[in-house]
Amino acid sequence: MAKTKPNLAPLLIALALLFLIPTRLCALEIKRYVLNNGAVLLVSEQHQLPMVTVSIAFDAGSRRDPEGKAGLASLTAASLAEGTRELSASELNKKIDFMGSSLTVSADRDYATASCVSLKKFFPQTLALLTSVLTDPGLRDEDILRKKTEQIAALRSADEEPGYVAKRVFTELLFDHQPYGHLPEGDLDSVERLTPQDVREFYHTYYHTGSAVIAVVGDVDAEQIKGEFDKALAKLQGQVAPQPPPPPPKVPAGAHVTKIDRNVTQANIELGFEGIARSNPDFYKLQVMNYILGGGGFASRLVKQVRSKAGLAYSVASFFTPGKFPGSFQVVLQTKNSSANQAVRMVLEELRNMQTRPVSQKELEGAKRFLIGSFPLKIDRQSSIASFLLQVEIYGLGLDYVDKYPKLIDAVTVEDVQNVARKYLHPDAYILVAVANQKEAALDVSSAAPANGGH
Amino acid sequence: MKTSSIRVRVINRVSVLVACCAVLAIAGRASCALTDAVRATTLPNGLRVLVLENHKAPVATFMVFYKVGSRNEKFGATGISHLVEHLMFRGTKTLGPEEFSNIIQENGGTDNAFTTENYTAYFEVINKDHLEVPIRLEADRMANFAPQGFDSEKAVVMEERRLRTEDNPQDSLYEIAQSQAFIQHPYHWPVIGWMNDLEHLTLEDALKYHEVYYSPQNAIIVAVGDFDADKVMRQISENFSQIKNGAKPPPVTEVEPPQKGERRVELRRPAELAAIAEAFHVPNYRDPDSFALEIVAELLADGKSSRLYRKLVVEKRMVVSVDTEYDRLSVDPNLFWITAQIRPNVKVDDVIGVIDDEIATLRDKAPSDDELQKAKNLVQASFVYGQDSIFREAMLLGQYEMLGDYRMLDQYLVGIDRVTPQDVSRVVGKYLNRPQRTLAILIPTGVLPHPAAGPAGSTVR
Repeated sequence: MAKTKPNLAPLLIALALLFLIPTRLCALEIKRYVLNNGAVLLVSEQHQLPMVTVSIAFDAGSRRDPEGKAGLASLTAASLAEGTRELSASELNKKIDFMGSSLTVSADRDYATASCVSLKKFFPQTLALLTSVLTDPGLRDEDILRKKTEQIAALRSADEEPGYVAKRVFTELLFDHQPYGHLPEGDLDSVERLTPQDVREFYHTYYHTGSAVIAVVGDVDAEQIKGEFDKALAKLQGQVAPQPPPPPPKVPAGAHVTKIDRNVTQANIELGFEGIARSNPDFYKLQVMNYILGGGGFASRLVKQVRSKAGLAYSVASFFTPGKFPGSFQVVLQTKNSSANQAVRMVLEELRNMQTRPVSQKELEGAKRFLIGSFPLKIDRQSSIASFLLQVEIYGLGLDYVDKYPKLIDAVTVEDVQNVARKYLHPDAYILVAVANQKEAALDVSSAAPANGGH
Repeated sequence: MKTSSIRVRVINRVSVLVACCAVLAIAGRASCALTDAVRATTLPNGLRVLVLENHKAPVATFMVFYKVGSRNEKFGATGISHLVEHLMFRGTKTLGPEEFSNIIQENGGTDNAFTTENYTAYFEVINKDHLEVPIRLEADRMANFAPQGFDSEKAVVMEERRLRTEDNPQDSLYEIAQSQAFIQHPYHWPVIGWMNDLEHLTLEDALKYHEVYYSPQNAIIVAVGDFDADKVMRQISENFSQIKNGAKPPPVTEVEPPQKGERRVELRRPAELAAIAEAFHVPNYRDPDSFALEIVAELLADGKSSRLYRKLVVEKRMVVSVDTEYDRLSVDPNLFWITAQIRPNVKVDDVIGVIDDEIATLRDKAPSDDELQKAKNLVQASFVYGQDSIFREAMLLGQYEMLGDYRMLDQYLVGIDRVTPQDVSRVVGKYLNRPQRTLAILIPTGVLPHPAAGPAGSTVR
């Protein structure tokens, strides 16, 4: 078929010209209030659509789970959405569904988040239901026990996925019994032990406005919504005792390999070590470094080597999980059992390359241009703006973060990238979890040690 | 908490956004403000172009839909549509492999693509100032397809199949159910293709496939975002007008004959939980009954007050999850799905019995006006929520235009609004009945290990 060939030269010239870093990408007007009840309220009015999104973060994430009770924060959050003192679970669900609204409460590692989305015309009723599940929850035994059996069943369902098992075991090994030492949903044994009384105590201890952050995005009036929230959550007034940061996890030198045998076609691999807290000033340098290493999709070295060149994996990526406390760094990939050794060797080699050789100017610029240029994509709808607002407040990023971010990224140099790679990557001291058909995978990382010895 | 779509029929190039289509399938619009604002044109080479300004955020999305999917494939060469989608990122006569994505990302954008039974779509979401970049790049790979590294990309797709299907008991179940429900029509095989077929596909197959299906007359462009529509229309015309067509792609002639009698199939393999998939043959958008079927899907399993959720999750505690899925925008008539993942120590037959009872109840007694209104409200609200994303807007326009006219979107909420309680009962009786059902059951064999922390495996130095 005769197809003509468009001339791409002008495009390439245009691309070269666009190499300038834009200074201001998007504006996001944020109003910030400190409420009578101690909560901080952030509002971004968006009047283009008749809908409203609310997210409220409480200091009630799974890092607060007591020892031996992993999964309690999650069960508490899930139980809160099961009715109020006045409304049974089914009455509440009927009201929410009838309006086409959604109401969810869930816990992640750091925070529990209560959210609602509704049409503007149903916003007052929806918000009233959200605040009443928070201030006057039912927390009846039968509902809590039902949510508990659901959580157990969901854990069994998740354990069917080899990738999930690898992630869970990696997390448990790295943060051994520390606040981040389990996934928010807990594990089968721990959830089995949870009682309705545990849930009610957790709720009374951690759902307080003194450390809560509220984000409202949508077709609302900021002043009016402030007035409503001043009243609505008064019952939750009070502080949550601060949680001391845990000692940082240390992985001793060497490869710490855990093999889990399953009759699967792929080896599901998690390889990593300790990472950083969000407050670490190296955060931005690491963002650039990790984009080049394995965070930047098809622009990243890991995807180029492991996927594009070698065809060993559909998905391979590296990431940091910075939180209130230092999180993890990990590389995650799946490859057919017989390629497991080769893929792991390639990953370790790329980690070492980041440390031993400076990245090219082109890679650095590419990373910066994506991180800065794609920022507007991260705040292009109500739900993403709401989570952005919560982060701005929780991590003290400042209301002008949208303006500051390009400068923070643009300041990163080639030397910075190499320095943080040396400081935070540990290709000679890592935890590796592999869920695989172990006979076929025959994983042996001793051959992955660097030529010059190392550990 | 709404359940997400669990049956992956959309295969992405990278694993994001897989569940968006089920959401879109129930979005629609009452007034016609959305399509009134759309600028539509057909270039002289037959390429359809839809452009819509949306100034909500300083971003834009660019999509190219090709009217080709697994529906166009042949026995023995399944998975070629999806493989070509992957190869579209592996270079052209002017660009090296993966340069496409690198250029998009350097301009602050993200890109991806997905293949379905009915179409293949490519998209970029990008800073509004750089929209011309994807316009030029998409024109280039429509005209100058010349992929490098065929073997490694095929290996990547085979890894994708291992990840999605081979090691995923539920996806394996849906694949088998689908292949039993369709015997003659190409919906018989999975979008990703059979593993053995993938092994035998060649670069020549891919080049031929691109030549037949990737022409302007077989494509639709949709651009939505914070831009000037005139300017974008001009840029699209400048870049795509000179691309020439080959012969017209061959039509799909296969028709699935009516199913006469229930089909049952079992899958025995290691798994944690038993699961079932019920699939019923139903009409698509061409039949007004499709609106009532959307309502049935809502009433049965959308939201915590839905009938099957209430009965199976809350009251009887028999399942981990229960879902319905119905894609009325399928090009050829497709399936209405009811799927459930079953709790340990619950009899599969008991779950099937409860679903049978709920279907019979809905067939024998029309839902109340209140319950019907709830379902309609859910549909309307999710339409408004969908407009919060320019990507979803572009998806909807493209999906309707795929079927012949994007303005059919305006009829959607009107059609939903017309559904009566009697319609609901009537379509349940007509379509959700035994003889038109395929029932697939996943029976776990063996017990999976449950490793706990405290090193379960060996430690190697």
